[in-house]
Amino acid sequence: MLQFWRVLHAGTRNFMRNAWLSTAATVVMTITLTIIVTSFITNSTLTQTIKGVTDKIDVSIYLNDAVTTDQRNSLQAALTADPNVQSVHYRSKDEALADYKAQIGNDQKLLEGIQLTGNPLPASFQVKAKDPKHLDSIVAITDEPQFQKLLDPTAPPSYSGQNKDTINRIVRVSNFFKTAELFASILFIIISTLIIFNTIRMAIFTRREEIEIMKLVGATKWFIRGPFVFEAALYGIIAAVIAVILSYALLLGAGPKLASYINVASTIDFFRSYPVLIVVGELVIGILIGAFSSLLAMSRYLKL
Amino acid sequence: MILFDRVTKVYPNQQIALSGLNLHIQPKEFVTIVGSSGAGKSTLIKLLTREEVHSSGKIIVGGLDYDTIQSKDVPLVRRRIGVVFQDFKLLPGRRVGENVAFALEVSGARGREIKRAVPKMLTLVGLSSKANNFPDELSGGERQRVAIARALIRQPKILIADEPTGNLDPKNAWEIIELLLKINRFGTTVLLTTHNKEIVNALKRRVITINRGKIVKDEEQGRYSLESAPTAGIKA
Repeated sequence: MLQFWRVLHAGTRNFMRNAWLSTAATVVMTITLTIIVTSFITNSTLTQTIKGVTDKIDVSIYLNDAVTTDQRNSLQAALTADPNVQSVHYRSKDEALADYKAQIGNDQKLLEGIQLTGNPLPASFQVKAKDPKHLDSIVAITDEPQFQKLLDPTAPPSYSGQNKDTINRIVRVSNFFKTAELFASILFIIISTLIIFNTIRMAIFTRREEIEIMKLVGATKWFIRGPFVFEAALYGIIAAVIAVILSYALLLGAGPKLASYINVASTIDFFRSYPVLIVVGELVIGILIGAFSSLLAMSRYLKL
Repeated sequence: MILFDRVTKVYPNQQIALSGLNLHIQPKEFVTIVGSSGAGKSTLIKLLTREEVHSSGKIIVGGLDYDTIQSKDVPLVRRRIGVVFQDFKLLPGRRVGENVAFALEVSGARGREIKRAVPKMLTLVGLSSKANNFPDELSGGERQRVAIARALIRQPKILIADEPTGNLDPKNAWEIIELLLKINRFGTTVLLTTHNKEIVNALKRRVITINRGKIVKDEEQGRYSLESAPTAGIKA
């Protein structure tokens, strides 16, 4: 235990002595960890965004008012039989009206209009697809002649209210960002590993004399290596703390500007809901990068 | 205390540093080893401190058979032997007291123990007033005393002094030798290597002469002579 504290103490002293190199290594590590934490958080937000929009992709098949229950059931059976269909929900005219009323709220003019015309809204099937990207088979069913005549001629089947292209674009852009973030994270992990590797290599060279003396007086291998590992881990620890503060500040500062593109509120919520996970995760990643790079440097330049 | 039985050391470049060397040193002896450069003195010391591993033969130091040492035990072997060098090998960034304390820190001694032991040792080597000086504020002789204090702080049974006077003027050199004799009187086995003829001749102690990896002379009250190369390597 006493030895452990001495190793920590020596590591901290080395960190201070190498002020410039330590600062450079910490800055690079901070950038890396900031990228990792923002990637992680926006990634989870983007995943939710994608899930949210793809869930909205469903097919509304509007029926004309003359459709009988039998006809309706046969169409429902045909849709349910399609392997790409996840669920088929029938919405009657009354339900459609109730939904509509709920949507318009207290708009008196619209309410009056409905009362004047009776219920103009068609009954419909809300079909949810397993794979929203492939709706062709569902479309094919509605195109069959025996079902074609059941449809409301004024309202052709709609795919998410004509939003399909927009949704696809959101998915594409989100996926691009996820890939880019993963790529940037890996790139910066490699860069900081190399920088710390080099910092520790320099530290080994400047302290060769001290290392020789430590060996001479009977220091164990870990008593000699420990301070280097701790020094590198310290870069990670300091960088993790700065990175968490920095990325939170970035989100709060840049949030309003980004609000129209991504769901910033849920990202900030995520940050607030899992502070321990984020801080501990960053510390662990920072310490691992530091320890790994220093061990790598020692395996090559510190022969004991 | 130290037993070398037909010890041979061949370096990877096929250079034979020691060949079938036999040596037996009793506890509390004061032994001087002389020999020209490249005779094998340094190899002998490196085998004792386990910086090098012998190729064949047997080395037993303080009852420990060096064939049984595993790599993790090497630090423990080094803690049993104090070593001082010609170039002192002090940590320039640490004060005198801290340099001496360092040897204890490394072996896991408690702070209280260190605080008690260091001043005592500095008094023994005559440096109690310099505990807070840095090494570069000291003379060569004083620096070597710090190195000796550091080597002795763990109370080793054996002290190896590898050319301890090589960088010192005659007055300082003699003070160091007198200090080594004093330590020897307290019961520590001292192994001294030197090129200083006057010192060897004045000591009137056991002198072992090594040449080409073999002991060529071993006298109880020896004098300095390098049989095959009478003038080579004499510095002082």
